[in-house]
Amino acid sequence: MPDTFETKKQEKTVVTDVPREAGVDLRLPAVVPAVPYPIETLVPQVNQQTPAVGQRVTRPDGRMHGLGQTKYIDDMSFPGMLHAKIKRAGIASARIVRIDTSAAEAMPGVMAVVTGRDIPVNSFGPSYQDQPVLADERVFHAGDGVAAVAALTEQIALDALEKVKVEYEPLPAVFDPVEALQESSHKVHGTDTNVYAKKTIRKGDVERGFAQADHVFENRFSTQMVEHVSLEPHAAIADWDANGRVTIWCTIGRITLARGDMARTLKHPMSRIRMVGTVVGGNFGGKNEITQEPVLALLSKKTGRPVKGVYSRGEEFTSTTTRHPIIMDYKTGVTKDGKIIARKVRLVLDGGAYCSWSETTLGKAAILSAGPYNIENLDVEAYVVYTNKTMTGAMRGFGAPQVCFAYESHMDDIAKALGIDPLEIRLRNAFGEGSASPTGQVLHSVVVKESLLKAAERFGWKEGRS
Amino acid sequence: MTDVVLRVNGRERKASVPPETTLLQLLREHLGLTGSKLGCDVGDCGACTVIVDGKAVNSCLMLAGQVDGREVLTIEGLATRDRLHPIQRAFEERASLQCGFCGPGSIMSAKALLDENLDPTPQEIRDALAGNLCRCTGYTKMIEAIQDAARELRTEKSARTAP
Repeated sequence: MPDTFETKKQEKTVVTDVPREAGVDLRLPAVVPAVPYPIETLVPQVNQQTPAVGQRVTRPDGRMHGLGQTKYIDDMSFPGMLHAKIKRAGIASARIVRIDTSAAEAMPGVMAVVTGRDIPVNSFGPSYQDQPVLADERVFHAGDGVAAVAALTEQIALDALEKVKVEYEPLPAVFDPVEALQESSHKVHGTDTNVYAKKTIRKGDVERGFAQADHVFENRFSTQMVEHVSLEPHAAIADWDANGRVTIWCTIGRITLARGDMARTLKHPMSRIRMVGTVVGGNFGGKNEITQEPVLALLSKKTGRPVKGVYSRGEEFTSTTTRHPIIMDYKTGVTKDGKIIARKVRLVLDGGAYCSWSETTLGKAAILSAGPYNIENLDVEAYVVYTNKTMTGAMRGFGAPQVCFAYESHMDDIAKALGIDPLEIRLRNAFGEGSASPTGQVLHSVVVKESLLKAAERFGWKEGRS
Repeated sequence: MTDVVLRVNGRERKASVPPETTLLQLLREHLGLTGSKLGCDVGDCGACTVIVDGKAVNSCLMLAGQVDGREVLTIEGLATRDRLHPIQRAFEERASLQCGFCGPGSIMSAKALLDENLDPTPQEIRDALAGNLCRCTGYTKMIEAIQDAARELRTEKSARTAP
């Protein structure tokens, strides 16, 4: 079987090495690699090494990227296309008293202005539909959009934003997630509590475990808000045609979900909405739901022209989702030889102004918060709360990196206090074949210990410490 | 309006643009060369890197008026009719680019480096790429690719200069 693979590989290499002449500059080499017939499918047998291991592969999109020929959204344009910009609130919590767009609309080159009241159904979100497309009555965080302008050039659109006058009545706000948990705190969305999702995991009897433990360790860990900073900013082009068909070119990773959100927010049949997912210049979880797309669609409907919107780097930080800051309280009971017998975890996730993917993140953070360790008695409670800050959502790992930082730091503290080698204490507690996760999932192909030992051997763990 | 006459990728180009137009906007919007990317618009990310008179610059920080009479090389000017530039080929073979958005800028920084120094140390390559951010974090493979390309360019050069 490996022989076949070699043959295929060679044919491809020949083409790569000698790009043939194509008609036009910069479009070369437009030669498709030859396909050997009959097409052979390589199916590795169970428990056998796949022949792909050890082979050099290139990416199918690598050549276009390297030539600068990949068309990202901002590289596309259509005849008559307009440029849209969104005015940001700049105030974390307020009531919008009035918005005056007349001066902006009167500007030469400005083709249309929309505000939150123009959005047919002004709410969306993957778990709870708590996020407005543009703020209409209330502003929940400083990055909320309040009005959008479509103009002949980006510069005119930016100038017009200055002329949109918004009158705010400032309201109380809450920025600290622990403070937001308290009963007396400001309620971001006016509900009884700022907690909008909770996850509990209980196993064994954690109090009895602490009573039996030789030592009990407690510590608080916290992480900060992180933005994905994909190099390509959020961008989209909307084209609403005269038959009521809307085409959206967008960078969204989940376009089917986005199509549903578009249908909901625009109150438009899904069959009349076409989403075109283009090459994405980095997502990392930050482009998993709609942002400005309904606004662009409405601006296109109003003007009858395609409308492009590209976020500025500043908007990326203030107005798109970020990674959850989490405040993590750990309490762990261990025997004198370093075996963990009880662990209590309290997580408070700062959800920002809207839910976005918080519920998913909360679940994963809670399940993984005990770490890859066998713990008889476990008690995890995790909350995600609203604050008047930029919303937090999906980002690579969905809450896993934050809790990993906490439980591994905690593990090092315990090892140091007990005078046990940090590697050794992990080997004593780590999952093995057939271990069950905190939620009872029986795990197979578990190689935590083997991986740790191999890594320790490779980078000279023992040698480095002696 | 500002009138500019410049050489882009070896050809003379003329444009009449608003005075606030940056070199990046001139290339992307007026000359149709969208290979250089806009990532941050403040000179942090390097996605807009092009070569002006032999030096790598952030084209988002340079005004179109400043390149009047100068020579600009963009990513579109690297590949010839017959072949990819060795840096482009090495980037492809090493799979150095993931989402690809930083690619044109990184390749132009590498080109500016190799034009001056055909045998850079890994540290010199790192320094040359210091202004190019990659959020997919593929720096290692870029450095390997630039080493490959340097090797190939050295071979080509010695073949050319051999009697």
